[in-house]
Amino acid sequence: MLKIENLHAEIDGKQILNGLTLSVGAGEVHAIMGPNGAGKSTLGYVLGGRPGYEVTQGSVSFEGQDLLDMAANERAAAGLFLGFQYPVEIPGVSNVQFLRTALNSQRRARGEAEISAGDFLRLSKAEGEALGMSMDMLKRNVNVGFSGGEKKRNEMVQMGVIDPKLAVLDETDSGLDIDALRVVGDGINRIMRQPHKAVLLITHYQRLLDIVAPDFVHVLADGRIVRSGGPELALQLEREGYGAIAA
Amino acid sequence: MLLDLPSTRTEAWRWSDLSALPEIAQRAKSGVVPTALPWIDCGSESPRLVFVDGRYDEARSKAGPIQIGRVLASAPDHALARLAGQQGWSLKLGEGHAAPGLIQIVHLTSGAADHLAAEIVLEADAQASIAETYMGEGWTNRLTVIALAKGARLMLNRRMLGAGGFVSLTDRADVGEGASLTVATLAAGGNDSRVDSQINLSGQTAFAEIGGALLARGRQRHDANLVLRHDAIGGASRQMWRSVADDRATASVAARVEVARGAQKTDGVQSLKGLLLARSATVNLKPELEIFADDVKCAHGATVGELDRNTLFYLASRGIGESEAKALLTQAFVADAIDRIGEEAVREAYATDVINWFSQSSLVPSEVEGRS
Ligand SMILES: Nc1ncnc2c1ncn2[C@@H]1O[C@H](COP(=O)(O)OP(=O)(O)OP(=O)(O)O)[C@@H](O)[C@H]1O
Ligand SMILES: [Mg+2]
Repeated sequence: MLKIENLHAEIDGKQILNGLTLSVGAGEVHAIMGPNGAGKSTLGYVLGGRPGYEVTQGSVSFEGQDLLDMAANERAAAGLFLGFQYPVEIPGVSNVQFLRTALNSQRRARGEAEISAGDFLRLSKAEGEALGMSMDMLKRNVNVGFSGGEKKRNEMVQMGVIDPKLAVLDETDSGLDIDALRVVGDGINRIMRQPHKAVLLITHYQRLLDIVAPDFVHVLADGRIVRSGGPELALQLEREGYGAIAA
Repeated sequence: MLLDLPSTRTEAWRWSDLSALPEIAQRAKSGVVPTALPWIDCGSESPRLVFVDGRYDEARSKAGPIQIGRVLASAPDHALARLAGQQGWSLKLGEGHAAPGLIQIVHLTSGAADHLAAEIVLEADAQASIAETYMGEGWTNRLTVIALAKGARLMLNRRMLGAGGFVSLTDRADVGEGASLTVATLAAGGNDSRVDSQINLSGQTAFAEIGGALLARGRQRHDANLVLRHDAIGGASRQMWRSVADDRATASVAARVEVARGAQKTDGVQSLKGLLLARSATVNLKPELEIFADDVKCAHGATVGELDRNTLFYLASRGIGESEAKALLTQAFVADAIDRIGEEAVREAYATDVINWFSQSSLVPSEVEGRS
């Protein structure tokens, strides 16, 4: 589904990704762990197409298409979803308005009909309920005044409504209390654990991986994957730290 | 007619460009009236009036309490308003009377220039709501003189939806004791505009709220000039303006609050904000306070910004393309001003006008003319 090869990327002239190679197949969940500043969020932004992140070498293909050749909104329409480490507040735009605009933009880009008001309301209400977000909250402005945990849950509501093929989730577990972690983890499983979908889960902690069991675990350090393994690698990291393993 | 127009070297006119007016005034009138006029749907059988090229169109109108004819209004000191003449419409309501529903007036110009005056006189505790819509492509020039007696309430809504041309609106208002004047202006068409409102809060505890949203693109220019003068004790005024400019357009607001020596306990709030949708666009904001009383509360602020890059990427990451993101964030930006409109039907009409302004932009490629 996703094939990243020898990816080099820089921001403001500073090289962050240094030859990163990674393949993600349909039906798989890959966890990416690694020390602060290793380039995990950068990888997410480069995949998402954030302006300012310049790819200097390498390639990324998503379902056979050249991902790097597409604008950020086209990548979303093609099925890529980026869960933000720091979700953005948008004063004056309600969650429902935002979500409906997003969903319909994607549908138009794919040549599909727009969703009706009634269907949209049902869908957003159901996704909100599954993730503990009331309609009242969905009517509020996007992330404005939301707590850290509420913002992360809101990312998952968006993912549920948009229903992407590939989700790159950047520390979706940070800032969540124990109960919210369970809700979010279950949400990821419910929305994304499907044979035609895949997840790239960026995290620092084993506790999310206890709920969303990864098929593969990778260690990202200094802008490249330095070690890959199965779920046991995450446990080993938790015991031994990055020092021994990434070195 | 020979036009004697102020130049941009005059301080009060430096952000306006009147140079096209002589040419617009020469444009032929087609006299064509579109079958669908932009009436605001307020559910009731309220008065509706149509002026075509400055002439009252009786067949298309239902005047209600509005009278057509000679009007006592003049502003000899104003370069454009002094052309308004003595013909137009008036609304005079006696003590305690309320006008039926929302009075709507459509001013349609099919070309050339037309000048009209209007007079609104509300006796004590009288009430009226008026919505005026300007459309077409000539030059529409209006002078409106307003007098509100004790406890009277007037809501005046103006929508500029012209395909092109120029709209100039000059208001002279006197707000008496405990009276309330609200003026909400929206420029969401293709016309240029110049608005001059001079409002005197002459009675104690008088209230005035003057605000709106100006949207400009291509080489459009909107210029609003407001003077709110507090002459008596305990008055309150609100000015909430949102200016948006794209391409090489200019949207300007100069808003002044004057508090006279005796006007203690005045409460004035002024919020001017600008949004640049392109680096080549211009927003001018000029907030001014002139206070001669010592016990007053006046808050004012003026800021101009661009769309936030983080926000644009967040929207893009959810599939929302640049033009749609612009529209969504601009709607959010002007919502501050539009959400204050009390009447739901008017508020919704304005919100729809803003959305339409964006959908029109994608249909008019010439709007980006001159961009490199
Ligand atoms: N605009 C920028 N200019 C220069 N350096 C930057 C810029 N943005 C990020 N960096 C640097 O890039 C490196 C990688 O950052 P990134 O956010 O990808 O790390 P991360 O692995 O996500 O870390 P964390 O675990 O703390 O979230 C860091 O050293 C960071 O300081
Ligand atoms: Mg990070």
